[in-house]
Parts: sequence; structure tokens; C-alpha cells
Amino acid sequence: MSALPERPITILIAALGGEGGGVLAEWLVDAAVAQGFPVQSTSIPGVSQRTGATTYYVEIYPVRAEELGGRRPVLALTPSPGNIDVMVASELIEAGRAMQNGFVSPERTTLIASTHRIFATSEKMQMGDGRYDSGKVLVAAKPLAKKTILSDMAQIAQQAGTIINTVLYGAVVGSGALPLSKEACEAAIRKSGKAVESSLKGFELGYACARGEAVPGQPAPEKPAPNVVPAEWVRSKFPAPIQDVLALGVTRLTDYQDSAYANLYLERLAPVLVVERQAGGEAEGFPVTRETARQLALWMSYEDVIRVADLKTRRDRFERVRQEAGVEADQPHAIVEYLKPGVEEIADILPPAWAAWLRRRAEASGWQPDPEGGLEVKTTTVAGFLMLKAMSRLRPFRRASSRYAEEQALIERWLAAIREHAAKDREAAPEIADCARLIKGYGDTHRRGRGNFVRIFETLIEGKAGTPGLAARVRAARDAALADAEGKNLAETLTGTRSSSIAGAKGQTVVFMPRPAQASAPETQESSASR
Amino acid sequence: MERSFKQEVELLRLGEGETFHGEGILAVTKALLQSGVSYVSGYQGAPISHLMDVLADAHEVLDDLGIHFETAANEAGAAAMLGASINYPLRGAVTWKSVVGTNVASDALSNLASAGVKGGALIVIGEDYGEGASIIQERTHAFAMKSQIWLLDPRPNLETIVRMVEKGFELSEASNTPVMLELRIRACHVHGSFKTRDNQPPRFSRNNVLENADFDYGRICLPPSVYAQEKHKVEVRMPAAVRFVRDQGLNEVFPGRLSEIGIIAQGGMYNGVIRALQQLGLADAFGESQIPLYVLNVTYPLIPEEITRFCAGKRAVLMVEEGQPAFIEESLNALLRRADLQTTIVGKDVLPMAGEYTGEVVLSGIAKFLQVVVPDGVDPARVSSAYEQITAPKRRAKELLSEPVPARPPGFCVGCPERPVFAAMKLVERESGGLHIAADIGCHTFSTLPPFNLGNSVLGYGLGLASSAGVAPAMGKRVISVMGDGGFWHNGITTGVANAVFNQDDSVLVIMKNGYTAATGDQNIPSSGRNAIGVPSQMDIEKTLRGLGVEWLKTVHTYHVGTMVKTLRGAVNSAYKGLKVIVADGECMLERSRREKPIIAQKLKAGERVVRTRFGVDEEVCTGDHSCIRLSGCPSLTIKPNPDPLRTDPVACVNNGCVGCGVCGEVAHAAVLCPSFYRTEIVSNPTALDRFLHRVRGAVIGWFQGGAGARPA
Repeated sequence: MSALPERPITILIAALGGEGGGVLAEWLVDAAVAQGFPVQSTSIPGVSQRTGATTYYVEIYPVRAEELGGRRPVLALTPSPGNIDVMVASELIEAGRAMQNGFVSPERTTLIASTHRIFATSEKMQMGDGRYDSGKVLVAAKPLAKKTILSDMAQIAQQAGTIINTVLYGAVVGSGALPLSKEACEAAIRKSGKAVESSLKGFELGYACARGEAVPGQPAPEKPAPNVVPAEWVRSKFPAPIQDVLALGVTRLTDYQDSAYANLYLERLAPVLVVERQAGGEAEGFPVTRETARQLALWMSYEDVIRVADLKTRRDRFERVRQEAGVEADQPHAIVEYLKPGVEEIADILPPAWAAWLRRRAEASGWQPDPEGGLEVKTTTVAGFLMLKAMSRLRPFRRASSRYAEEQALIERWLAAIREHAAKDREAAPEIADCARLIKGYGDTHRRGRGNFVRIFETLIEGKAGTPGLAARVRAARDAALADAEGKNLAETLTGTRSSSIAGAKGQTVVFMPRPAQASAPETQESSASR
Repeated sequence: MERSFKQEVELLRLGEGETFHGEGILAVTKALLQSGVSYVSGYQGAPISHLMDVLADAHEVLDDLGIHFETAANEAGAAAMLGASINYPLRGAVTWKSVVGTNVASDALSNLASAGVKGGALIVIGEDYGEGASIIQERTHAFAMKSQIWLLDPRPNLETIVRMVEKGFELSEASNTPVMLELRIRACHVHGSFKTRDNQPPRFSRNNVLENADFDYGRICLPPSVYAQEKHKVEVRMPAAVRFVRDQGLNEVFPGRLSEIGIIAQGGMYNGVIRALQQLGLADAFGESQIPLYVLNVTYPLIPEEITRFCAGKRAVLMVEEGQPAFIEESLNALLRRADLQTTIVGKDVLPMAGEYTGEVVLSGIAKFLQVVVPDGVDPARVSSAYEQITAPKRRAKELLSEPVPARPPGFCVGCPERPVFAAMKLVERESGGLHIAADIGCHTFSTLPPFNLGNSVLGYGLGLASSAGVAPAMGKRVISVMGDGGFWHNGITTGVANAVFNQDDSVLVIMKNGYTAATGDQNIPSSGRNAIGVPSQMDIEKTLRGLGVEWLKTVHTYHVGTMVKTLRGAVNSAYKGLKVIVADGECMLERSRREKPIIAQKLKAGERVVRTRFGVDEEVCTGDHSCIRLSGCPSLTIKPNPDPLRTDPVACVNNGCVGCGVCGEVAHAAVLCPSFYRTEIVSNPTALDRFLHRVRGAVIGWFQGGAGARPA
């Protein structure tokens, strides 16, 4: 009896609701029972089955029950830190959570995890980028685990037409950390009787993956480097470190409007470059011009109905939709757009005087968008397609539109401020350039974002070049504006600065108010520019 | 029902000497059958939902034995059913989630416990405490003590659980007292094995009915009987119970080498204690411990002579008692004082007063205990180094990760019909400013989490509307209450609706009509159309509301976000002063897909035309502001790296989990969000006309799009 193992083998499975973690635990139990090993599993389903993180815990005593002479091992119901032999995580952050809870130890743990990400609500809902730096989990995995098997098993599962639990199961068995035979484990899948063939395929791939064999379905790098050759003119006038961004900007704006518009882009950047060069920005690769170039290209290609109609009617867009939806070649399908152009969107593309008249009329009549209204346009029918196509053909009239005038005026103010700051405060200038990121979205979201931008711009930036500690304050204000869509954080952050100009600025930040009725009250020069 | 046990219930027919392999819940059911129960009932709720599911799926097995099964309207109803055992030798068992279910049942339980029982009455309690719990953290122990109901807390292995079910009935009959069997979350779902016995047909049942009704005023809970009943509890029933527990050896003593110390543990804590001792090198894999153990499979009443016998001659004893107040530890101290024993009781001073006793907590408590008492034969330095080594990975991970990984609480499923109601509420709040929202229990309580953050209070199941009655008059804006259809039938119908109509409360109620108690696993309710065993029912929420006198009543399909916004806005601003009820109608997506999936698969196989819908986001049109996510929270509406090399913020995207409910498009319309959303309708087994139109349209559009090839395919 003394030769018996002093402890059971422990397996903790971390999965998300609906990924089949429970089935994976059942397969392990079935395989262990079939081989005669004492086994126990527990779980905490509760409400966590509804998409939340959940765990399943299995203990197997690696000696057949009949060889124990009637003795039964005591198996624990909860996992303990430092006491896990196989840690299975169906997603990368869940692997991180397991480490955080002490379930991955260098003495014992084989960590088997899928490296794909399923983002948590808290990561998804940020205005900007709220994603957890998953690189940290990958870096921590090696020193924390005895052995790691890390691979994008979601991708492998998708290619095999199965669910991720089958691939994980294969990897657990393939890791060799359990006393279970491959045959017994496959038999457990067959016994369950559901989607047997695809599950076995997933199992086989996971098994191979754990053994370090090549497995199809490994993902491409996340973001391929842009491969745009800069035009001769860009190469001769602008330094190498920023040519790639400029080339992208030129391509984008030519596509958006025309080559004259792309030239305007470069003409606007040239003075920024001059100022930065004078201030000694060359050594750092012109960070201010680079960031300005990136933001300016995006800002100048602002999204109006003309742009949206253009993007939605392109051939490559149709192709992308088909791929995403898994439409087979020649399979009949329809694409239906959800559009809801309101007074603002129509006024945007009208000449300024007409737009002002329309906005006044709408305001006087108390017009509000109807929550039940909205257009559903089938772009796969000839009529629907032509309607949007016609809209996209309004492009030549864009320069005469009210929105164009407003955007260009605000862009010029922003550029002037960047030039002014770049000469005096090289730390603040890129932060100011990056503030353009606040202006995004459509409708209310766009109005709020733009309002936040104007508010920060007028309170902290315009005419304030050389203020000590400005970079940090601009960054804080921008982060606050991105942190909550309602703008409460921003108001607090700006008030917290105790700047004497805030009271005055408040009176001017016109668009910040959510309701159009209140929005147009003071007709100052700033307010019309900021509309 | 979410999970079917049709296959597993065959295990309930196992006979003498066979081996059962399966889940704890199923083992409990088998034990009930082996004990000869006459009737079973309960109310679903994690962690014992599956017990109700098993009973429903096992109704044929039950029918064969003549056992009556019905689902109760709520836990009070289930507890009241145990009244059958007051006058007659009928064994009965009921089950619910505790402590909340016990709260609801408490009126009936008090009366039952006072009257006392002739037939064994067993209450299977799913103690929803610790990790995975969904309710307030309290102990059922207090209820057992105050009503004098015996409390069993078996060691969490199937053999002991099954034995305690069987002994529980005997104990109940031997002491004329109802018995509670407490199972913690993981014990309910523990998978293990035990040797079965033959099922026992009940003495009296449908198959063998009682001939005469019994009348005994002594069993009625009115004076003067209640005075006699109380005396009977302390003078007769309690001593009988103590005798039975002692004589039958329900509690267990495990001797150990280190006899100057000991550990007393609730039965449910046993495996965790053994594992901690193993990790510290003080026990082997089979539970052979160096420290003597006294395991309480019965935690109420305590058996004084067993306790004094165990403690006598010991310097210190550790009490491992999960939860608070520390009823057992306090009693131990009193018992030892009375017996004039000087043994030190260590408990909540080394173990936390509140919270679940996980492996880590028990390990840390035992390590501290050993460091404090330093028994002969244990090197405290070895204990602390073992403890350090075990806990080191956690500290190392904290350093390496530098910030905690994001939390991932449960939320609304993909395609959930309740989510759009809260999207609509968010939109109404944009116009009206913040509203007081009286939330309730159910899947809809997820509204209190991001991205919605809607719901100011939760007072209990079905109590949403009732909980608004005090706050509504003091609020400048109308208060909205939420109630699920489960909560409505559980008690909201009277405590909420009837009462609000009766008192002419000026309030808005949204009833989530998804057709089932979805949060507990989609069990049927009166408005589901069928009862638990599949018999049709004709009960209807709207008709019931009209019958109760509700005049302002609107039913809106939840996926129509715009209509829901208008209806909510109308209710909040209406001139009508009474109760305004909006029935938010939309079947639970989980249940709906379970029903529809096989039908669609069959159609596809048969070559019939099927249209599949899914949604998408144009990555070029999306600017990455994520307002759609803040108004939806759908798991399939997520983010991906921005394909645009000039942009850094991730764009929204719809992943393959999309079930095509259409809410993201509806929200985009209702909130005037953005034009990025599109719907794809894909036709399988297309007709000739489908193909013809597709070709013609493709050719024309392709021509306008220019480039290579005349049609996009």
C-alpha cells in the first residue's frame, strides 16, 4: 500500500458559458470510469452558464479502484492553489484568471490554453481601446507553469467545424499529464452520441497540437503592415520616418474626394513639419507631424452620407459581407442596411445657408427622431443599390456643403494650435494632435465627441501654449472623455484643473448640450465653427 | 427545460447491489425512492434546479411507484405540502434554493415544525453560498435552530449523502420533526458513485390510498395546542433526536496520532479539511489523518456527550464552521464550560468569519491553527514552509500580471429578448434623466451590470413592484419596476400587482414574459402553456392582469426597440394615475433555439427553402466609438483590431455566435447610432425565382460596380 500515489491528479477547467466545459469534464469522468479509476467532478453552474466565466473541477486517483482493497480516496470538491496538475482555459484571459488565483504552479501545472480573446464587456464598452494587454498573460505563462500548451484552439475548432471543448480535450489527453488512454477518451466521445465525427476530428487536432505537431488553422498576424508606396512628391518633400503615414493619408483622401484634396492634406502638414524640425523633432522621428498626419487624414475623410453610401456600394465590401456571413458561391442572399438619416445628416450635405434654414425649421417644429422610424435598404436589389450609388455620386458637391465648411474651420484651428504648441512644448503637441480621436461616431455620439473635443480644446489648448504640465492635463482630459460617454468624468476633470478660463469656456461649449434645441443658443463665432 | 435528464433517470431504476455513477442531485433522487417517499415537490433555483428537472423527467418512474410529484407555485407552497406528513405516515420530500427559498417557506415551516410529523418529512436545501452563488449570503442553520428542524450536513460524497437521506427520514419519524438536508453548491453537482438498493414503494400512495382522515386538535397550530407543541419539542422531540443521532452513529470520529489536538468540522467541510491536511503532509490520499477528526453529519442538534468525549484530554480543537454567526463554535464553548473541560476552541480567530471555506481558506486556517498550538510531532517551520510554497504561485502571478484581468460576470445571452428592453430603458433615460428602477430576481437582474447599470434595488423574487411602493410617492419622476413572468407567478401577482391596483399606486411595471423561469434553467411556469410533465395549461398573464383590474396594459414584442422606447416613454409620461403595465413579450432565446434548431435542420435536410439571418458591422463605416456595445452588451457584438492602418481603436464586429435576433439593428435605429449595421439574409435550398433574381440583380449591380467580372459571386 505504501507505493500508492499520495495524491490524486487534479484538473481545473475554466470556460465561458456555452463552450461545453461541462461536457469536457463529463468526457474525462467517463474515460476515467471506463478505466476503473476513482474519479470525482464538481462544477458551479449557477447563473454563470449565462456567458460568464465558470469552472469545472475533476480529480482522478490514478490507481484502479479494484486494486485499492476497498479503500476509497478522499477527493476534494474545490480546487486549491498550488495543487493543480492540469489547468485548462478556453480563452486567454481565463488562463490569466487561473494564474491570478494561484492555480498555475511551476512544480506541477501543465497549462493548456487557447490564446484567442473573447472580450469582456468592460473591455468592449470603452469609447477608445479598453482591451486588456493579453501579452502579459502569455509572458507570465512560461515562468508560472511546468509546461505550457498554448494555441488558438478556437481557430482550430472553427476549421474543424466543431466546438472548442473537443480541441481542448484532445490537448489535455495529448499532454500526457493524465493516466487516461487515448482510446478510452475517444470512446467517451462516441458514448455521448452527439456530433461524434466532428468532435473526434477536433479531439485529434487538439491531441496533435499538444504533441507539438503542425495543426492547420493557425491565425495570421493581427494587423498586416500597411504596404503603400509613397508617391514621388511625398518622398521628395517629407522625411522618411513619416512617409508611410502620408502615403496612407494621400491614398485615403484621393479615394475620399480627389487628388486636389490629397494635396490640401500635404499642404496642411508641411508647416507642422517645418515647426517641428525647428524645434528639434527630427531626432525622435517627427512624432508630432506623424500623429497629426494620421489624425488629419481621418478627420479630413469625415463620414457623411456620401461617404457611407460610397463605402456600402463597393464590390470588395459585398465580397467581405459574403465571407463574413459564410455565403457560398452563387447562394442567393440579401444585404439590408440600417440607415436613419435625420435632419442633421441632410443639413450636413446642403450648402451652409440652406442647412441653417433647415436646422431652424426643424428646431421650430420641435422635430425629434422617431425611435420607431428608420430605413432598411436592400443593397442587393437594383433599386436599393442605385439609391445608395446615386447618393455616393454627390461627391463633387461635398466642398460646397455646410459640414465641409464646419470641419475645415475646426481643422484649421486645431492645426494652428498644434503648430503653436509644437514650437514651445514638444510634449504637449502630440497629445493635442491625438485629441482629434475624440471626434468619432455618428449622430448623438458624434455630437458628444465633438463637444468634448471643443471643450478640451477651448479650455486647455487654444492660446495656452507653454503652460507648464499641459501634456499631462490634456492626456487626462482626453482619457476622461473616452472613459464615459456621458461626459461626466470630463466635466469633473476639467473642473478639477481650477483653470480660470473654465467658466468662460462653459458658456461657449455649445454642442456639448445633448439637445439640439439648446445647442444653437449663443451665436458666437466659436459656436458656429464648432457645429 | 434547459437540460434533459431523460437518459440519466434510467439510473433511478437500479436495484440491490448495483453501482450508480452520476451527479449528486440524481443520487438524492434515487435515495428518495429507496426511502419510500409518497410525494415530492419543490421550487427550482440553483443549485437544486436540476433536482426539479430530474423529478419532472422521472415522472414515469415515480408514477410506477405511485409517488405524487408536482411543482409548487413557490417554496411556501412546497413547504405546505409537507403538511401531509403531520397526520399520516406518509414520507415526503421537498426541495429549494436556500436561504431565499427557506425565507419564502418559513411560515409553513414554522407551523409544520410546531405541529410535528408522523411521516418522515425531508427538505433538501441547496445552500447557495460562496463561489457561484446568486443570492444574499446567509446560513440556513438559523432557520433550523429557530424552528427546531434538524439539520443534516453530510460529507460530500454520494455514499454519505444517500445514507443521510435514508437516515433523515428515520430521524424525522423517530423524533416527529421535519429534517433539512443541506447540500452546498458543489455537492449538488458532485459526480461520484454508490451502491444502490431497491426502490421502496411508499406505504400509502396513489396505489394504496388512506381510508380515513385523521382529526387531532393537538396537531393544529392554535392555542392551547401550540403551548403543548413547544413543550413537546424540547421535552420529547429533541431528546429523541439526540438519542437517534448518537445510537445510529450519524456523526463520525476519525482517530489520529496527534491526540492532544483535534478538528471538528461540518460534514460538508470534511473533504476540504482532508485536502488541506494532505497538502501540509498530515493526511494521506485516503483521508487517514494524523489529527483526530469529529465530523458533524448532523449540525443541529449537537450531541453533547459526543463533543465532550472528543474534546476531553485535548489541549485545543479547531472548529471548521462555514458562515456566520458561528452558531456551532459558540455552542461548543458553552458545552465545554458546562462540562468543565479546559480545551481551547479555535475557530473564527484563524478562519474568516464570513465567506466560503474554499481549499485555500481551510488550508490557511489549519496552518495558522498549527502555528498557534504547536502540537508535539509537528514542526511549525515545516507547516509554514509548505504553506508558503503552496501560496507562492499566486503572489508570483500578481507580480507578473501587474494588473488584475478583467472580470467576466454572467450576462444576457446572445439573442436574449430581455436585453433590448434595457436598451430601450437606457434611451428613455437619456431624455428623462435617471429613473428609479426597482429590479427583481431573474435573468433580468443582469441589467444592474455594465453596460446597462440599470436597477436601484433588489428586494427578492417577485418583489420588484412591491419594493417600489414606498419610494414611488417620494420621487419626482415615475418609478419603473421590473418583474419576470417567473416572479409574477411566484408571488408578484399578489404582493405586486394586486396590491398596487388595490392601493391605486401610480407606477410603471414591466413584466418580462420570456415564457419560463429562465435563470434557473427554463422550467415551465403557469403561462408556459404546459406544466412540468407536459400537460397543457391555458393560463395567460394578460388575462390575469385584466382580471386583477389593470386598465393600462400594453404588450410589446421586446425586439422592437423603437416601439418599446415609445411605450415606456408613454407610460412614464402618461396622464393615467394608476398602475401601468407593459408586458415585454419575447421567448427565452435558449429555449426557442432548442425548439427551432431540429425543425430547421429537418427542413434543410428535406430540401425546403430556409432563410438564415445574421448581422454584421461594416468595418470601414464603423469609427470605433462602441456606443452600440454600450446600448446592447450582446456577447456576439464584440470588437476586433481595426483593419484601417490609420486607426488604432478597435472596431465593432459581430461574431459567429450571432443568432440574427436583429436587436443591434433595432438599437442602431432607435438610438440613431450609426449606419454601420447590416443584415444578411442567406437563402438555403433557393427556389428557381430566388436564383433568377439573384443572377439578374448581381449582373446589374456588378456592372455598376465595375472592375473584373460582370456579377459579384
